[in-house]
Amino acid sequence: MPNSAAFIGADYPRLRPVFKLSEGDTVTAGQTVFRDRTRPRIAFVAPISGTISQIAYGPHHTLSLCSITRDANAPEPGARPPTDDLSESNVRETLLTSGMWPALRSRPFGRVPDPDARAAAIFVTATQLSPLAPDPHLVIAQQAQAFAHGMSVLTHLTAGPVHVCQSRQEALCAQTDQIKVTVFKGAMASGLAGTHVDRLHAVQSGHPVWTIGYQDVAAIGHLFMTGEYATHRVVSITGPGAQQPKLMRTCLGARLQDICADQNVEPQNAPPAQLMSGDEITGRASAYLGRFDQQVTLALKPEPLQRSGWRSRLFTRQGPMTPTMAIEQALAPNILPVPLLRALSVGDTDAARRLGVLALIEEDVAVLTRRCTSGADYGLLLRQVLDDLMDEGL
Amino acid sequence: MRLLVRSARNSLGGVTLAQATALVLPVVIVAQAQPSRYAILLVTALLSTLIWEAVFAALRKYPFSFHGLTTALIFVVMIPPTLPLWQLVLMLSLGVILGELIFGGRGYGFINPAVVALCLLVFSFPQVQLPPASQSLALAVVPGAVWLLLLGLISARVIAGTVLGIVGLMFLGGTGVHILTIGTALGFGLIFLICDPTGAAATNPGRWIYGVLAGGLIILFSGGQNPTADSVVFAAITASVFAPLIDHLVVLGHAKWRGVAHG
Repeated sequence: MPNSAAFIGADYPRLRPVFKLSEGDTVTAGQTVFRDRTRPRIAFVAPISGTISQIAYGPHHTLSLCSITRDANAPEPGARPPTDDLSESNVRETLLTSGMWPALRSRPFGRVPDPDARAAAIFVTATQLSPLAPDPHLVIAQQAQAFAHGMSVLTHLTAGPVHVCQSRQEALCAQTDQIKVTVFKGAMASGLAGTHVDRLHAVQSGHPVWTIGYQDVAAIGHLFMTGEYATHRVVSITGPGAQQPKLMRTCLGARLQDICADQNVEPQNAPPAQLMSGDEITGRASAYLGRFDQQVTLALKPEPLQRSGWRSRLFTRQGPMTPTMAIEQALAPNILPVPLLRALSVGDTDAARRLGVLALIEEDVAVLTRRCTSGADYGLLLRQVLDDLMDEGL
Repeated sequence: MRLLVRSARNSLGGVTLAQATALVLPVVIVAQAQPSRYAILLVTALLSTLIWEAVFAALRKYPFSFHGLTTALIFVVMIPPTLPLWQLVLMLSLGVILGELIFGGRGYGFINPAVVALCLLVFSFPQVQLPPASQSLALAVVPGAVWLLLLGLISARVIAGTVLGIVGLMFLGGTGVHILTIGTALGFGLIFLICDPTGAAATNPGRWIYGVLAGGLIILFSGGQNPTADSVVFAAITASVFAPLIDHLVVLGHAKWRGVAHG
């Protein structure tokens, strides 16, 4: 178990927190640390017991980082009584007060959904995003009962379908009128929730959908069965810098240095590794595990930029986009990538909306940042366009 | 090699370098007829494009690029070896400036500068005849074309669309279709002028339409007969001018289709 865990602002775009506790206070796992300023019913709870070691704000009082240091003497977390009442109001209330609600993300915009919002459909992302991510079938097999219960809880949140999107053929749960299993195969884009949503539902039409990871579904099942807030998640430790790639059980927001401590056994021989939360393409350099990530990559540190070298001069990655085939295969098949990238790079919100931008969040376009000749960060550009669309009230 | 493949996929300099690699064999094949004359032409062409790149880089304060390399190589392959050097310098200068440098450099414009230079050459000097492509030149294009296709820098849809447009229109016109003759006349221009990623349409359905349009225009401009070098050049510039419109219509159609399909 890690010595420290954190909430990272990048996981919750535009979230402005109101803290119940301050730096130095003691928390137990499952206790509310902060709430959303505009929607105070949404609680964010501590993944481990300890003391709050740092609270940092970003621009406009958004959350940047809130870290908690483990304390062996901290009191044991108390469990709430398990609940059998699966009425919609009770399901919502339980998820909101227990801290499980932020596991949901709504599309468009990729934010925590409003407590009273209704989703036209819920997408359970149980695809294997990268070949090195944990196999969802393996992880779910260990907590099959919790996952099945979590699925039935989800069906009480929406009148629409609950799609289970998976990579392998064997269905992860029983299909009903409401629970639908869809298999996505093929390139990397087939593992992204944006592709699933674009394929099975129209976000354009003004009916938002929610996405949730498969481990969070199992955690919801665990919560309703036992009353405990489940903080453990299975992640894979991978990448060229990892001495012993493996699957491990850790907690939400775990400090990556702690859980990778056994990876650099021979520091003098090992190449300096860059810790990344997520896979090498959609992940980001981070000190803590992201809320929605299931993989840790020990990437090799990028070579320092040589400003005067001929190579960096001739192969500079600043400039226009060249419409190559590499871009063509990177996105969901229903989306025209080159016009979308052009719309994103000039900030044309109308065009971007027509082209299906509302189904996407940063992780869906991450691969384009690597493949495009312009060197632009499309995740950043996408978030700006989404912010503009949100301000327009769409 | 790995660096080349990687940078060809994700940096503009790499794209240019990959195109230049594909052009080496065609240049050698064409130049071996009159090596010394072509050496002079090549050096003059490279100097005139690269000097303008350097001037614009200095004036606009961005790093020097070498994208004029491919423009010069394409131009030299397409022109008659007897072309006076002053005409070559004048046309290439106008081509790179009007075709790409005034837009900000390679990738910001919408037409291939070599196409602009060739068009201006044929328009301004009616006595200049672009020589027909030889069979050995067409064969020399093949490895480069495969290389560019593998790297994803040209689109198989554009190639297929163009061939479809040519064969279709010739078939409708009742002219005999000789694939070998067409391939010989078309090969180089198709790969390096029509398929150029900055000049071609940038959506998959648009690439088909662009290809068919280019193919149809080639036959139209060559009077229903087998493609000539001039007809390929004029078809390339006309199709490039329409490429943004094609893309725009595809985007509108796509948005409408999404609306219907998703309700």
